[in-house]
Amino acid sequence: MTSVSEEPERGGERERDPERGAYGGEAAGAGGAGSAAGASPLPEELRALGRSLDPAGAAGSESMVERVLAQILAERIPAPVAEPPRAGAGERLRTARRWTRARWRSLTATLCGLLALLALTPPVRAAVLDWFDFGGVEVRYDPSAVPSAGAEVPGCGRSLSFAQAERRAGFAPLVPRTLGVPDAVTVTDEPRGRSLMSLCWHERGRVIRLDEFAASLDVTFTKTVREQPEWVELGTEPSATGMSDPALWFPRPHVLSFWLVGADGDRYTHEERTAGPTLLWTHDGAGGEDVTLRLEGVASRSRAMDIAKSVGAWPPVSSEKSPN
Amino acid sequence: MIARVRAGEPEAYAELVRVHTGIALRAAAALGAGADAEDVVQQAFVKAYCALGRFQDGASFKPWLLSIVANETRNTVRTAARQRTLAGREAAFAEAEPLIPESADPAVATLETERREALLAALEKLSEEHRLVVTYRYLLEMDESETAQALGWPRGTVKSRLNRALRRLSRLLPDFQPREGGDERE
Repeated sequence: MTSVSEEPERGGERERDPERGAYGGEAAGAGGAGSAAGASPLPEELRALGRSLDPAGAAGSESMVERVLAQILAERIPAPVAEPPRAGAGERLRTARRWTRARWRSLTATLCGLLALLALTPPVRAAVLDWFDFGGVEVRYDPSAVPSAGAEVPGCGRSLSFAQAERRAGFAPLVPRTLGVPDAVTVTDEPRGRSLMSLCWHERGRVIRLDEFAASLDVTFTKTVREQPEWVELGTEPSATGMSDPALWFPRPHVLSFWLVGADGDRYTHEERTAGPTLLWTHDGAGGEDVTLRLEGVASRSRAMDIAKSVGAWPPVSSEKSPN
Repeated sequence: MIARVRAGEPEAYAELVRVHTGIALRAAAALGAGADAEDVVQQAFVKAYCALGRFQDGASFKPWLLSIVANETRNTVRTAARQRTLAGREAAFAEAEPLIPESADPAVATLETERREALLAALEKLSEEHRLVVTYRYLLEMDESETAQALGWPRGTVKSRLNRALRRLSRLLPDFQPREGGDERE
């Protein structure tokens, strides 16, 4: 992780330091690059845990064979017959999924009457996850989606205090230390009672905007791209799975769709705008939930990555300079 | 083997059951079936038999079976309580005799128990998806592609979720110091 641990921990509400306190693997800081992939004892511990679940003695399998065969005979279950390859397991699964999805859709629409919800379970999501899994963001490929020229990063509007923002969003803001205290913090309501937190900085007449939301939730943003974004790595230490803090860099302007809650607090409007170069990644939130972050308004990939690497819980410094 | 079962030889299915009972029971236990693990596994084997006609040639049987076990566990557990509580799982673990050699130092045995409990508690705090991926990949000792098949996720998703789940786990285990260097870790 980053070398931010010299920052004093303020405000006793944070009971653990997310930068330290981890066990083995990536956080065994002293080991540095030496404690590389595979050296982490955690997977071994977990395998041992799994083996400890096995019942003692192998007698179980014989009695299981008897029980299963007895039931198959008793219920006169016919011998399975291979089905034609076209209706293979995968095909059937897909058919079933399509059917369920279609049904689920109409059910939801009936129950909620909300078109918004339909778009939250887009059929392309499964394919999208194939190469991209940051909860809450969907990336669609559509060469015909031409972004409009000269778009600007929208500002955040009137600012809340950090404490207000945290209360409304349900998680503490994550702040990149390289950008420092934001000029504004706002929280926008999203469908299904969740919230989007936005932090804005003004820099030479331009806006740098950082959107944050709980990653475990459904699609919040849809990015429609004409060319695939690039994978970049924010981490330096190889992890057990060979990927170290993956992030996605969208070098070109693209169409971004998102939801806004209406004035009655009950209806959602689908908004679309052109987003500039964007970096997308996830970070461990203080509450244990992953938070997805999208940084917009920084045109340089390396600077965007530096900003992303410096993200941490706030406040690392004195709280007297609060945005308000 | 599957071809023989399809050809109407139930004995051939016996062999499949024999080979996979162990891992199926482990899966049911790991997924929270507790005392119902054996019943869950029996039902899963029967359902797998019924569905064998749809099994895709060339696919791997184990992840396919374990996804049926997982479903069956979910159904069973759901009817009982929502999910086994931590206490319930610990009871399940207590039933499964800890694999500690008899010669082991009691202090070491206590340590082992504490480690297991801490690991379990940490697993319990993970999100469902993270817990699943860790369970399939490590507790059930499947490789990445088997995990992907069992969960019905793309491999990239397995990779990235596993990555995050492990990190989260290690953060949830603050007191879980690795034993002194050189001690059985390679």
